[in-house]
Amino acid sequence: MSDLLSISALCCHDGAAMHILAILSASITVVGAIMVITRSIAVHAVLYLVVTLLSLASVLSLLGAPFAAALDVIIYAGAIMVLFVFVIMMLNLGQPDSDREKEWLRPRAWFGPAVLAAVLCGELFFGLRDMPDAGPISMITPRDVGLMLFGPYVMMVELVSFLLLAGLVTAFHIGRYRMEDR
Amino acid sequence: MIAHDLFVPSPLLVLSSGTMLMLVSIAWRRSITLSLSIGLLTLLLALAGTDHHLTTGQHGVATLFIQDRWADYTTALILLSSICILGLSWRNLLHDTAHPTDEYPLLLLLGTLGATSMVFSANYIPFFLGLEILGISLIGLVAARHHHLTASSEASMKYLILSGISSAILLFGIGLAYAATGSLYFSPPVATDGISHGIPIAAATMILVGIFFKLSAVPFHMWIPDVMEGASTPVAAFIAVVSKIAIFSSLVRYFSAGEMQPFLNDTMTAVIILTILGGNLLALRQTSLTRLMACSSIAHVGYLLMAFLSPGQLQSGAIVVYLAAYTASTLGVFSVISALAANGDTDGTSIADWKGLFFSHPFLAVIMSLMLLSLAGIPPGIGFFAKFEIAAASVERQRDLLLAALVIGSVIGLYYYLNVIRTMMTPDIVQIVTYNRKNYPELTGLALVLTIIVIVGGLFPARLIRPILPAPVTIIPRSANTIAPDIDTAMRYAIHDISP
Repeated sequence: MSDLLSISALCCHDGAAMHILAILSASITVVGAIMVITRSIAVHAVLYLVVTLLSLASVLSLLGAPFAAALDVIIYAGAIMVLFVFVIMMLNLGQPDSDREKEWLRPRAWFGPAVLAAVLCGELFFGLRDMPDAGPISMITPRDVGLMLFGPYVMMVELVSFLLLAGLVTAFHIGRYRMEDR
Repeated sequence: MIAHDLFVPSPLLVLSSGTMLMLVSIAWRRSITLSLSIGLLTLLLALAGTDHHLTTGQHGVATLFIQDRWADYTTALILLSSICILGLSWRNLLHDTAHPTDEYPLLLLLGTLGATSMVFSANYIPFFLGLEILGISLIGLVAARHHHLTASSEASMKYLILSGISSAILLFGIGLAYAATGSLYFSPPVATDGISHGIPIAAATMILVGIFFKLSAVPFHMWIPDVMEGASTPVAAFIAVVSKIAIFSSLVRYFSAGEMQPFLNDTMTAVIILTILGGNLLALRQTSLTRLMACSSIAHVGYLLMAFLSPGQLQSGAIVVYLAAYTASTLGVFSVISALAANGDTDGTSIADWKGLFFSHPFLAVIMSLMLLSLAGIPPGIGFFAKFEIAAASVERQRDLLLAALVIGSVIGLYYYLNVIRTMMTPDIVQIVTYNRKNYPELTGLALVLTIIVIVGGLFPARLIRPILPAPVTIIPRSANTIAPDIDTAMRYAIHDISP
């Protein structure tokens, strides 16, 4: 998280660098997202999704929202992606394990995401290299966000929970008929 | 601190508690009758509490919800329509013993919750969340159709993708609006110094495009006939009535701040003319009654937008009467379709199936004709007066081009509405034996109630005409001191502080 912070501090210090970094991150996000929806093998798509989320986090931090960026990395790129990978591995029980792993470890599968991730990593190092002495930053702490969510925005949290409920019920509803239809 | 800081409209509270109660009851024991009863009770309670609000906390721009007579009126319309739609689907659900279908009333309640949230919203956040709750519930509702699984899945997939695209455009517009004004207050962004002039215009345009998509105004209308045809009849009524009322109500609130910018005015004029003509022309060639209603609902959105674009003395009355007329007549048509629904593979929505209805079911045929005449704008239905009000409002503002479109659209509309009535009057030589139509007495009762509303509204429309549109609000100009401290402004402070 501190690395991401440094990028944000840097970009506000130097306007031109910020623009280049932001455009680079944004284009990595778009390329990654396109790759996610065009891959036919789920694991490959998931790898691109990780890169997409990471670059999205760097865009967020460049926009001056390091807390949102940290949440994006921890929750989406971390926890939820692990769940995805786990579920995909659980579901693909048809082939023998060794074949499957060999299939997944071919360079074709990881080369693209690795290049994109390397670019992101280079961006991070570039940000770390000349870290300027940024002035006083009024940070948004988790405490502020929590107070907002449980204070004025508590009804919005409730509405979001209803939105998730609607999505869950809908997905279950449609999925069940599909299963029975087979 | 929460109690007096928050303002929560009571229908929203009732609907959310009802949803949770229904969830608990489903978890306890799956019973469709119980779920439907809880749903009906919740909707009735919400309707009863529409203009009673527990807290009144309207302090300036920081509020997320707003409560005025416009919100109360549209909420009442939405809740009444949802009650009707629940009534329309009651029999079908009870008869479907093969599947436990508790999801249906649950999703219906959630959709109503989303629509209510949109109506009350004074901020982009509850508006967008409500829109999404409504949209995602609709996806499930459209797919809930057991005899026509492929068709309904296809329709719900179409709706999923197109509604996703329109939400993305809308969200982009909201983001741009926030970038231009620094506030999420639900009103068109105004250009301030330091921001280039294009951003507020782009933001307003993108938000309008998103809203037009959901309203199915003409350049963005392609989804609605397909989706409504794939959905079951009550769900088609839900799409045509509840979701359109909610979005139209938000549109009116969005532009309630004052006069529209000139270029938006021109765009709206073009969209309205296209919508009226396109909807009516599309309806001419339809052979399915549901598709015909979908196309006619596009045209009616055009008429509504026409009233919306003619601010003046008559505007409020025109919008109020037209909304009521459209809701009652459309629900009436759909309740007759449901009352005559066949059991088998065909659902009896093909217009050719309606041949000779005046001889086999004279009562329902008369109701159907009345509703169609009301939609076409012929007395004694309320639709005549509604269209008259719209024309009067447009004359007041001298919208000649729009009036011409209204006249042409009405003439085309008359043709296809009367065509249905003509089909019903044609004696059927081959007697109806193939379509095993069942007669649902309670649906006939519902249709009768709607007929009474339509006729009484047509005879005494003056009681409906009231100035209830949202009052113009003053927009607080952007400056770091006047904006209430919330998350987004806090982030703004952070950016200001670290920039040189």
